[in-house]
Amino acid sequence: MKVERFLGSREEIARKVAETLGGLYDEALEKAGPSGFEGGRQAGLRALEKFSVRGYAGTRNKLHGNVSRLSFYIRHGVLGLREVAESVRERFGTSYDAAKFWQELGWRQFWRLIYAKKGNRIYEDLEPAKVPLTKDFSGELPEDIQEGRTGLVCMDETVRELVETGYLHNHARMWFASFVIHFRKLGWKAGERFFYRHLLDGDPASNALSWQWVASTFSHRPYLFNRENVQENGGKKWCERCEAKCPFAATYPELERRLFAS
Amino acid sequence: MKTVVWLHGDSLSVKDPAAQKYPDAERVFVFDRPFLEKAKLSFKRIFFLYECAAEAAGEIRVGDTAEELQEAMRERAAGRLAVTESASPRWRELVAELQGKVEVEVVPVADLVAVPADFVAKRFTPFWKKFGKEWGG
Repeated sequence: MKVERFLGSREEIARKVAETLGGLYDEALEKAGPSGFEGGRQAGLRALEKFSVRGYAGTRNKLHGNVSRLSFYIRHGVLGLREVAESVRERFGTSYDAAKFWQELGWRQFWRLIYAKKGNRIYEDLEPAKVPLTKDFSGELPEDIQEGRTGLVCMDETVRELVETGYLHNHARMWFASFVIHFRKLGWKAGERFFYRHLLDGDPASNALSWQWVASTFSHRPYLFNRENVQENGGKKWCERCEAKCPFAATYPELERRLFAS
Repeated sequence: MKTVVWLHGDSLSVKDPAAQKYPDAERVFVFDRPFLEKAKLSFKRIFFLYECAAEAAGEIRVGDTAEELQEAMRERAAGRLAVTESASPRWRELVAELQGKVEVEVVPVADLVAVPADFVAKRFTPFWKKFGKEWGG
């Protein structure tokens, strides 16, 4: 069946697309709206031209650092990996910042290579876990996590941003994945599905293999974070209004003892 | 021979390598109903794809992808379907199904670095050291 070209504002077009493609997405019709990030090559090229790689290496781990936000265009082949890398080289030459950025593009191709070889086996543990992990992969994330009601402001705000915008900074993704797998002791696949449904750049390989990297089934050790890390890279705003007993307020050796002693 | 270019979710732009190879061919994108009914993506994702497709494709369809592509080919009396390669198992499944029915030409992706087909990727650091030299690796 052919899908019409709709005209109007983004909101109007979104409404018509939502009506036409009913049953192919997860929300109720009245909640279906566009993300703030616009699709299409023209929008992708504008974002690429706006991106300056200067300062990338030093700030990319900060939530408000100079990251490209090109991942959704790259994921859907709207912008090519090589095209993006060459644009940076032409405009900024070769530098430590550029090399760090190109390395991140390299990760994309690396995930794709593994996906091409493994196919749907990326959804199974690729290696034995290096720490005790749950073997229960049934079901979805618990409601308190999916609805942003854990009481942990950093995690709840991460979920809110993900659901509202379809985007998360990489560091926020890592904290959330570590929280789900190691602090809440849930199977990584439930978190993987949750991200895949909402991230505009949701890519089977990048997403599933990054969850496995955090879990330690595709890395030498599990990824852990603590409150100091969140504050250093995300600021103190979340912590200042958080009333929960913080499960992340500890040193790494303490966390390892608490989470992995069995 | 008349060609139709199939644009899919891993290669959704006018710069798609298959589209570049056949610039005069109609570009068709299909919302893959069997896949999407199971995947339960957020509407934001679907709409992002729609916006990409609205700009890149001459025709957008929804349904069973293999059937929809064949229908698009019949309407244009096209004998060849050109498509850019993807690592996705669903893409492979669809290509295998279509190959039994029409002529399918698979066009390679423009990768960041050239990697021999027999290379087995295990960890990123050795991969990047070996192949990333052009990009400071």
